[in-house]
Amino acid sequence: MPIVIFELPDGTQRKVIASSGTVLMQAAVSNGVDGIVAECGGNASCATCHVYVDQRHVELVGPPNDVEDEMLDFTAAERRPTSRLSCQIQVSDALDGLVVHIPEEQV
Amino acid sequence: MSALMAAAPGAPVVELDLAELRDDPYPAYAELRRTAPLAWVPSVGRHLLTRYEDIVHAEKLPEVFSSREEGSLLLRTVGPNLLREDDPEHRRLRAAAEPPTRPRQVRDLWAGTFERTAHELLDRIAGRGEGDLIGDFAEPLAAANLAVVLGLRNASADDISDWSRAMMAANGNYADDPDIWLRAEQATRAIEDAVAEMAEAARREPDGSVISSMVHAADPVELTEIQNNIKVIIGGGVNEPRDVFGVGAQALLQRPDVLDRVVADPGLWKRVFEETARWISPIGMYPRQLTQDYEIAGVALPAGSRVALVIASGNRDESVFERADEFDIDRPHQPHLAFGGGPHFCMGAWVARHEVSALAWPLVFSRLKGLRLVEGADDRMEGWVFRGLTSLNVTWQV
Repeated sequence: MPIVIFELPDGTQRKVIASSGTVLMQAAVSNGVDGIVAECGGNASCATCHVYVDQRHVELVGPPNDVEDEMLDFTAAERRPTSRLSCQIQVSDALDGLVVHIPEEQV
Repeated sequence: MSALMAAAPGAPVVELDLAELRDDPYPAYAELRRTAPLAWVPSVGRHLLTRYEDIVHAEKLPEVFSSREEGSLLLRTVGPNLLREDDPEHRRLRAAAEPPTRPRQVRDLWAGTFERTAHELLDRIAGRGEGDLIGDFAEPLAAANLAVVLGLRNASADDISDWSRAMMAANGNYADDPDIWLRAEQATRAIEDAVAEMAEAARREPDGSVISSMVHAADPVELTEIQNNIKVIIGGGVNEPRDVFGVGAQALLQRPDVLDRVVADPGLWKRVFEETARWISPIGMYPRQLTQDYEIAGVALPAGSRVALVIASGNRDESVFERADEFDIDRPHQPHLAFGGGPHFCMGAWVARHEVSALAWPLVFSRLKGLRLVEGADDRMEGWVFRGLTSLNVTWQV
């Protein structure tokens, strides 16, 4: 089971165990990580599970899919080149040690 | 699992008068949150779940809190539809219907038409110096925009409004009034004909609309499914943008200092939208039915129990929103529940955000100079399942 790190806007880090085969948003929600709202429950309809993938891991995680790419234009916090919706990031063992940064706002 | 039409053992029973709820449900909700956050309410025939955290919890468990409520009047009115389905069936229909309502499509495909319609409606009344912003503007705008997004070029805004009203009346027809059923049947038959015609046209020539998107869905959708889902979208799709518009416009006209700030900084319209939807949620509650025994808010509910998620109450929960009864666009950002959550997250959210906060409010407040509420006008806030203003009488300089 990979361990992923959510870094909050104030710099504190939450290390959580994610399950391979689920999505990153799920790991945040199941562990009560503040700042991942996920109103639509993982259907890329609401843009409230926005994260910035740490520069070191951008290639590993890969680019957003088409539907996600559109939704990223409508996030509450600014879109950056490293922006992803955490509900669209599939967790696998390869993501062990992944760091993502949670933006100031989701709504 | 068949529906249990009575209180679960151990659930508190609270008598609420429906007429009082229609008038103002918020005091009753505050009392429920304090004393009985899950309570069987005989006049509603469901357990009302009223605290924010419990509602969010239920929304995240759609496999327990099923949308397939038996005996629902909505099912009788429009037939099987995505609102009363669970995944994967719900997902198939939602995936087919949703693309035209996503934010980029709203901006690229619909925004121009929305804007022309809004200007036309204002052109008709601008010279009068007085009007009802619900009946003269928000209702016909919402109806016309809905027709465009759905792909019903063969229906007028008045058709959409009439159909919507007839079906909404049937969805609340607990008194079993035969005239109400008859009018709803006439409306649904008219919608079926209109949808069949436009589905045929979209089959030949895709137009980006909801009907077109469903006709060309990768996972096939039958014509009757398209018809039923268009019915349900018409049933619910007029009043929400209309009601957010009306409530927010009135709130600003009653608070000139806030209005001045928003007019000077149009970026604030978004905050007005989200705060209005939280403060007076256009949809106040929706039903769920338990697929298994489950304990929530301290009550062990048996499978089959009927629960209403009262999002209007969750949006006034003082443990989440300070001074929750106040309209305050500066409150700390905290997700509200007005669009629901989970797989059924409001499909029209992005359409409504654009049509109300990016278009209707800024346009009305810039074109109608010196806008004021008519003193003594009987503009009533009404409803609890759906809530909004019955009218919004205003004057402006000509």
